[in-house]
Amino acid sequence: MDNQIRYTDEELIARFQKGDEQAYTELVIRYRDKLMTFVFRFVNDMEQAEDIIQDTMLKLYTHKHYYRNIAKFSTWIYTIAGNLAKTELRKKKTRKVTNISQMGPEDRDYELPSVAPETDEVVQSEYIEKKIQAAIQNLPLHFRTVTILRDIQELSYEEISKIVEVPLGTVKSRINRARLQLQNELKDLK
Amino acid sequence: MDRYQFEDAISAYLDNELTLSERKAFEDFMNVNSEGKHLVDSIRANMTSIKNLSDIKASNSFMPNLHKRIEFEKKRPSKKIVNRPSKTLFGFTPLYASIMTVLIISFVTVGVNLWPGAQAPANTIPAYTGNISGAPNKTLDHPTIDANQDAILAEAETDSADTTIQKKKNFKLGNQVKFVKDQR
Repeated sequence: MDNQIRYTDEELIARFQKGDEQAYTELVIRYRDKLMTFVFRFVNDMEQAEDIIQDTMLKLYTHKHYYRNIAKFSTWIYTIAGNLAKTELRKKKTRKVTNISQMGPEDRDYELPSVAPETDEVVQSEYIEKKIQAAIQNLPLHFRTVTILRDIQELSYEEISKIVEVPLGTVKSRINRARLQLQNELKDLK
Repeated sequence: MDRYQFEDAISAYLDNELTLSERKAFEDFMNVNSEGKHLVDSIRANMTSIKNLSDIKASNSFMPNLHKRIEFEKKRPSKKIVNRPSKTLFGFTPLYASIMTVLIISFVTVGVNLWPGAQAPANTIPAYTGNISGAPNKTLDHPTIDANQDAILAEAETDSADTTIQKKKNFKLGNQVKFVKDQR
């Protein structure tokens, strides 16, 4: 693998398009954990996040010729993962609504995820992480995506604009509003 | 700079996206407005906390599972391709193309015959073209008995709608017709 480090993402996908499966493996290794972080912060479910990344990588394998060398490879793969995550969240939302509505009054004994501090069991950093994760989940989807891409993945505004397919000005405005909302939710964190 | 402009510019300030003059105006507002400064500091601290969130790693079974799925995809039968007939004429098979051609020709023929400008059939009654103001019709007048009496009577007996009478009168038979006892 060491001799492949010199290849850029775009060179690797070009090699894969010509049939080099080793290039595909290298791309998966490069992006698997980055995408895992992005998708987990988005859907807040480890198993689901891993399934989405599997689907993303499978799509990369089966639809390799859909990539055209006019955009960065990272933009393309983030777009695929983001779209799959959004689709999964919509499905999850529908399933939740259906389940609750189908329950009888005696059945409505379900647990909502708690974000209250469990100081006896978890360390302070874990508490902060849970609190931030919960605050991110409270953001509307279009704010959540840009915040994760900017503040966790540290992508540029231009790249985010291409991934979420909205103008640059809208991306800047969404990031600003998302940060203000997060600040409001995390006031008591300090 | 007012409060709204200040809030709109916070991210641009933190991401170093403001021009020099904008940055100066922003910092001037912050220096005279402690609440604004507190807001910026708070957002900056949150950004740092978010950035420091632990990275999430895929499980150890990620790669084996992915390879299994890829192998499964490779073995999946490809999409069924519907075989189209090899030769078609404008999308029709030769049989249907022939039927369509016959139908089109039939429609055209019938259509031409029904068209108002088309040639009228021989048995239809023609429009009256005679003189309606002056001279009486010779055939309805009381004819005088003269040498052509037989011919006139014969003419009167014929159907008035027979358009061939005029043509018959204009025939110059000349030497083409000879009666049996013609002395010429």
